[in-house]
Amino acid sequence: MKRSKKIKKKTRGSRYSKLSLFQKPDVKFNRPCPLSGKDAPVIDYKNIKLLRKYISESGRILPSRVTSVSLKKQKEVSKSIKRARLLALI
Amino acid sequence: MNCYEHTFITKQDLSNSQAENLVSKYEGIIKANSGKVLKTEEWGLRNLSHSIAHNKKGFYFHIKFEGIGKTIEELEKAENIDESLIRYLTVRVKKHDLEKNYFEKKIYKNEVSNYEKK
Repeated sequence: MKRSKKIKKKTRGSRYSKLSLFQKPDVKFNRPCPLSGKDAPVIDYKNIKLLRKYISESGRILPSRVTSVSLKKQKEVSKSIKRARLLALI
Repeated sequence: MNCYEHTFITKQDLSNSQAENLVSKYEGIIKANSGKVLKTEEWGLRNLSHSIAHNKKGFYFHIKFEGIGKTIEELEKAENIDESLIRYLTVRVKKHDLEKNYFEKKIYKNEVSNYEKK
C-alpha cells in the first residue's frame, strides 16, 4: 500500500511521459479500448487533437499495450499518424 | 467513381491571387479528367511541424472530389512538376464527410492576431 501511494505522487501530469520501452508500467492498463464501441471518436489524419494522445512526447507512436487500443483500431491510428506526419501536421 | 481527399501544401511566399490560381488550376485538372469537385477547404497558413526543404510554414488546401484512377494520375503528374508546392497527399475514403472541418478559420485568426502582437 505504501509503495502505491508513492508512485501516485510521482506520476503527476502525463501518464506515459516517463515510460521507457523496457520498463514495466506502474499503472494498470486493463481498460477497454477507448476507440471502439458506441460514440467513439472518428480516427482521421486530420483529427490531430485525437492523434496527439497516441504519440509520445518525442513523436513516436505509443504501443497498444500502453494505450489499450484494440488491434483493429491501432492499425487505423498508426496509419493516420503516418499520414499526418507526411503533411507535417504532427 | 471513388471518393478521394486531396491535400497539398504550397510555399509561404505566395500572394492570395496566386494561391487562388493554384486551387482553380488543380480543380480544373480534376474536372477535365472525368472528376467532380465536391468541396474545397482552405486551412490557411500553418506552421509545419518539421521543416521540409527549408520551409517552415505553408498554405494548406484540401479538396474533396470524386474521380477515377486517371484523375489522380493526371493531378499528381501536374503537381510533381510544380515548384511552388511543398507536398501533397491523396487518400481514398469510403464516404465523404462534408460537414466537419477540423481546421476552422478560428485557428487561422488566432495566428494572425499573434503576428500583430509581435
